[in-house]
Amino acid sequence: MMVTLLGATTLVLVSLAMWVLSAAAGGKNLKSPQKVEVGVIDDSFILRWNRSEGSVGNVTFSFDYQKPEMDNWIKLPGCQNITSTKCNFSSLKLNVYEEIKLRIRAEKENTSSWYEVDSFIPFRKAQIGPPEVHLEAEDKAIVIYISPPGTEDSVMWALDRSSFTYSLVIWKNSSSVEERIVNIYSRHKISKLSPETTYCLKVKAALLTSRKIGVYSPVHCIKTTVENELPPPENIEVIVQNQNYVLKWDYTYANMTFQVQWLHAFLKRNPGNHLYKWKQIPDCENVTTTQCVFPQNTFQKGIYLLRVQASDGNNTSFWSEEIKFDTEIQASLLPPVFNIRSLSDSLHISIGAPKWSENKPVIQDYPLIYEILFWENTSKAERKIIKKKTDVTIPNLKPLTVYCVKARAHSMDEKLNKSSVFSDVVCEETKSGNTSKIWLIIGIFTVLLALLFVIYAVKVLLRCINYVFFPSLKPSSNIDEYFSEQSLKNLLLSTSEEQIEKCLIIENISTIATVEETNQTNEDHKKYSSQTSQDSGNYSNEDESENKTSEELQQDFI
Amino acid sequence: MSTIPNMIQKCLWLEFLMGTFIAGTLSLDCNSLNVHLRRVTWQNLRLLSSMSNSFPVECLRENIAFELPQEFLQYTQHMKKDIKKAFYEMSLQTFNIFSQHTFKSGKERHVKQIQIGLDQQAEYLNQCLEEDKNENEDMKEMKENEMKPSEARVPQLSNLELRRYFNRIDNFLKEKKYSDCAWEIVRVEIRRCLYYFYKFTALFRRK
Repeated sequence: MMVTLLGATTLVLVSLAMWVLSAAAGGKNLKSPQKVEVGVIDDSFILRWNRSEGSVGNVTFSFDYQKPEMDNWIKLPGCQNITSTKCNFSSLKLNVYEEIKLRIRAEKENTSSWYEVDSFIPFRKAQIGPPEVHLEAEDKAIVIYISPPGTEDSVMWALDRSSFTYSLVIWKNSSSVEERIVNIYSRHKISKLSPETTYCLKVKAALLTSRKIGVYSPVHCIKTTVENELPPPENIEVIVQNQNYVLKWDYTYANMTFQVQWLHAFLKRNPGNHLYKWKQIPDCENVTTTQCVFPQNTFQKGIYLLRVQASDGNNTSFWSEEIKFDTEIQASLLPPVFNIRSLSDSLHISIGAPKWSENKPVIQDYPLIYEILFWENTSKAERKIIKKKTDVTIPNLKPLTVYCVKARAHSMDEKLNKSSVFSDVVCEETKSGNTSKIWLIIGIFTVLLALLFVIYAVKVLLRCINYVFFPSLKPSSNIDEYFSEQSLKNLLLSTSEEQIEKCLIIENISTIATVEETNQTNEDHKKYSSQTSQDSGNYSNEDESENKTSEELQQDFI
Repeated sequence: MSTIPNMIQKCLWLEFLMGTFIAGTLSLDCNSLNVHLRRVTWQNLRLLSSMSNSFPVECLRENIAFELPQEFLQYTQHMKKDIKKAFYEMSLQTFNIFSQHTFKSGKERHVKQIQIGLDQQAEYLNQCLEEDKNENEDMKEMKENEMKPSEARVPQLSNLELRRYFNRIDNFLKEKKYSDCAWEIVRVEIRRCLYYFYKFTALFRRK
């Protein structure tokens, strides 16, 4: 009986255990995917993963995401219950510079455990997508309009709307020779092409500071037009003359009118700006020469783009190539100003800062080389000295000869190749050899004499000063006789406060005897005056006033 | 005390004179780049200051801390190239901020001048970085191999930190819908940022 009971319970227990095990085994069958790839292009976040082994049938996958400061996981919209192995969650508005964590699990009748994907910063992972390209054909050029990748309200490139630079590859449809153009902005003109030819190109964007290079756009092809009757002007350059800019160009035909337009260079960085409009230069409208002059104050300091167009009344040419015009570079290198000091066999030239017309000095903080030309006034043979310093001595010259000098400045940076015009010519005669020595001796002699004279004069002056301002305090012998009393002598000659008071008392003749007791005499005097002040009015008033004055005087001296 | 602002005025005026009257050959030589960079940065600083007379008191309420990443100035061992890159990034970002919004006609002239100045800044830096890239590629690799064994690592100038900072500014402007107060606050902040970078250019000289 007991045995059967025991056997029954073990059977039940075992079957129970087996049932539990089988149930558990059924759950373990579902594993979460172990490999998830995150791809970010512009604002699209695309996730790809592999199915885990053993998962067949209707398995769906779901994602959660978590931001660093959050404790809980949130369901990722757009990636819930996905049956395929790809999902796109671009709809989520994220801070693309913040780290984000994802986790995935598989679901069937029961759910697998979560598998956490490595956290990442969206911006770091992001790839730059293809830009939009629009082409316009001219006869020997193609104008290319590029829109930045992503949409206008893109979150990924919100800070980079103006930072994109582009590069393109262009080739003739017939050949496979490719030309690469890098570091261009969103409006660019590819010139020096052949007319009536089909060209194809593809463009990609880049963010240099973030070391990102994007993918190429699809290939765009366009055919250039028939050659225009009028070619565009060429070889445009700007030079400075006085207070004006002179714009020059070349043109093959005569009797044409030209017009010039300008644009702020910075607008190339954000072409969507409403200011992006080419404007006319008023002084250059319908000029008939291949140059035009306009004042320097037409342009504020900055970088500009200029283009020129020709017209013969009926037809107009295409616009010329745009040249970059930086007022800082084009600003003229002014000719240097110098002083000449002539010696007997050499000339010493000190070069100073050039001045604007209003006599304001120009402070130049870039390195310059000075070229100095000099020649004898009678001959034409010029000799040249090139120096970096501003103090130059031309040695080995003939004495008593007139030499003429002119100088100009060059920028030390050869790339710029900038030079100023020549300064005005200054002529100076060198001194005679012998006479200069005589003059030297005479000069030294005069200096010595002058020195002696000065010393003597100073001595006399000092004596006078001492006499006037610091008289000796010894009294003359006459006074000594009169004032045998030491105290009276002290009275007259010393300047202590007490003595002053005594001086005042002396004014009151009645108290001349009482010299020693200063305060007491004062009080006595007061008492005296009060005792005798029966006469009100003038007498007492006088006393009071006298008292007052003495007090005032005391105060003054004190 | 009244003489002190006068002195400052005089100094600023002198700097401005210096800037305006430089008969520049703008040297594209990068060795003299920092002089022009300082000049252009200083001009931009002055432009930002002169954009409005004083900060309106009512906007103080909306002021928030943007937390400019100041670690640039704390580590002076940054490579010159990293400094240039950070400066370039900052110039572009600031340019971007001022390009996003059309200003009222009173301020438009100032904004245009700032954009011109920032564009110049960015242009010079870009050219120098291009030059560096072409010339120093071999040198750089050698240097990097030398630096690896050493343990003393200087923290990298983080492009990301700078971007986070500008992202905060950008979000602030969008949130406040580009109101006048928001622009005032951003103007003051950008002025601070430009000033830090102005001090930055002093580091060029030390190298």
